Amino acid sequence: MTCVADMLRWIARTLMIVMMVAVGSTVLVRFAPGYLSDAREMDSRYGNTTRVELAAEAARSASLAQMLSAEFGGWTRGNFGISRQYDVPVLELIAPRLAVTGGLLLRSIAFAWSLALCAALVSSAGRNPSLSWQAPSTLLLAVPTAAMATLCILSDCGGPTLVMTLVVAARDFKFLDRMLRNAWRDPHLLQARAQGLSTLRLVYAHILPSVAPRLLALATLSIVNALSALVPVEVVFSVPGLGQLAWNAAMNRDLPVLLGVTMIMAVAVTFAGMNPDRAGEWQGA
Amino acid sequence: MARGMTMRIPAIRPAAFWSLLALAAIAIGVLALPGRSYSGQDREQLLASASAQHPAGTDALGRDRMVRVSAAFLLSMGGAVMASAAATLAAAGVGTLSAFSPAALGSLAMLACDVFLALPWLFLLMMVRSTLPLTTSPAHSAAITFLILAVVGWPACARAVYRGALELRKSEWMLQARAAGLRDKQIMRHVLPNLTSLLIPQFLICIPAFIIAEANLGALGLGIGEPLPSWGSMLLELDNSPMLMHTAWVYLPIALLILILLLFEGVATKQ
Repeated sequence: MTCVADMLRWIARTLMIVMMVAVGSTVLVRFAPGYLSDAREMDSRYGNTTRVELAAEAARSASLAQMLSAEFGGWTRGNFGISRQYDVPVLELIAPRLAVTGGLLLRSIAFAWSLALCAALVSSAGRNPSLSWQAPSTLLLAVPTAAMATLCILSDCGGPTLVMTLVVAARDFKFLDRMLRNAWRDPHLLQARAQGLSTLRLVYAHILPSVAPRLLALATLSIVNALSALVPVEVVFSVPGLGQLAWNAAMNRDLPVLLGVTMIMAVAVTFAGMNPDRAGEWQGA
Repeated sequence: MARGMTMRIPAIRPAAFWSLLALAAIAIGVLALPGRSYSGQDREQLLASASAQHPAGTDALGRDRMVRVSAAFLLSMGGAVMASAAATLAAAGVGTLSAFSPAALGSLAMLACDVFLALPWLFLLMMVRSTLPLTTSPAHSAAITFLILAVVGWPACARAVYRGALELRKSEWMLQARAAGLRDKQIMRHVLPNLTSLLIPQFLICIPAFIIAEANLGALGLGIGEPLPSWGSMLLELDNSPMLMHTAWVYLPIALLILILLLFEGVATKQ
């Protein structure tokens, strides 16, 4: 019963967060200083009459209540609203790109986990953090994703999956290395090592089972990192995914599309990252 | 396994700190030279290689690359340090007050943090940057970029402070203080100094994160506006293939950016 109650509380909290993100993003956009300006007003091809109509259209969309009702209305109709730039339902733009982005994310996270776990297992078995293992991850974390993607294109090696994998693996490695290093210091493992048990057996029988529950946190970290790297990677490599769509929408001030993509990202991060411990952390204090 | 191959990571914090200061001093020196301006154009030397007049060459508009890199370094470091200080202060206030307030209020504050954390930074930054007025000046765009970074950067830090403050709330000296009849105001005076060991790393970690975020935003064309130099706008030069074939100095900004981020990482590293 407690488990079901916890699960229900977690779902309610997650839904509430998604709802608050939707309302908060709309409020943020509405009160941003340039919300009422339209890029078309600067286009010399439009006459004065058109500009007056554009200004009137902007004034009509100024009501926050109207914005919220349009947004939630779009959700209930299942089309996420209408794109300002393409004048088509936002869902029509998002749906074909979900598969592209999803595939890229899944591939990169799977490769990154494998790479980070293998590297961390070898690295953490040493007594002290080794420069030869720490330096590559530190270096990778110091390169902006957009620059890494551009350098990949210039050197004609690798693609979006490689860049995303490296970005995610570098941070995952730091996390896993610290976690495994702590696990190796457990007294029963020190004892087992002293008795001469093989490293491989210790890893399979003790280390991996002991860190498995904490891998949920790693999943959250990976998804957040991968989503943050998504826009630069998709833009630089011209991948027709959600990141590129969001960037296009940002450049053309297409707010319904940008809000739609942001909501999808918020849902992904919220469901991946909201473990039940968070809700009860105050009570546990 | 690999025990024989390991070597201890050297004590890099002071070296990294002094190297950063030295780089900042050099950048200030470069900008202070007479006749140097980050927006000044030498139209007869477009895409020039290194020379006595332009030690790192010029960009496609004939602007001195060394001066622009120096200005970008100082601008991004200054902006990131201020944004990080603002984010850390906000996090210290929210985290501490939430931990010491009634349960409902604390939970509500952490729910607000979760709302911020549910959005990947870059999407939130893109959303806010795309709704700025079309005529935003470069100086305003720089200020707004770092302000937004501070606004989206505080919740993660606030969560860490909240957890630290909750630990303090349970600590024995706190119980002792309450039992001795100290008022909340008197207790709070001792809380922040005890959280310094948590706040300083948070402050130091935020600086490189903000510099990278600004560089990524700039590389996407949503960062600081021209002619103000920024890491992001200079990374855009890498997209220009003819320029890359013409001079290798195009790689100077990315090389320096990586060095600076590594130095910040070194400063933030625990000994």
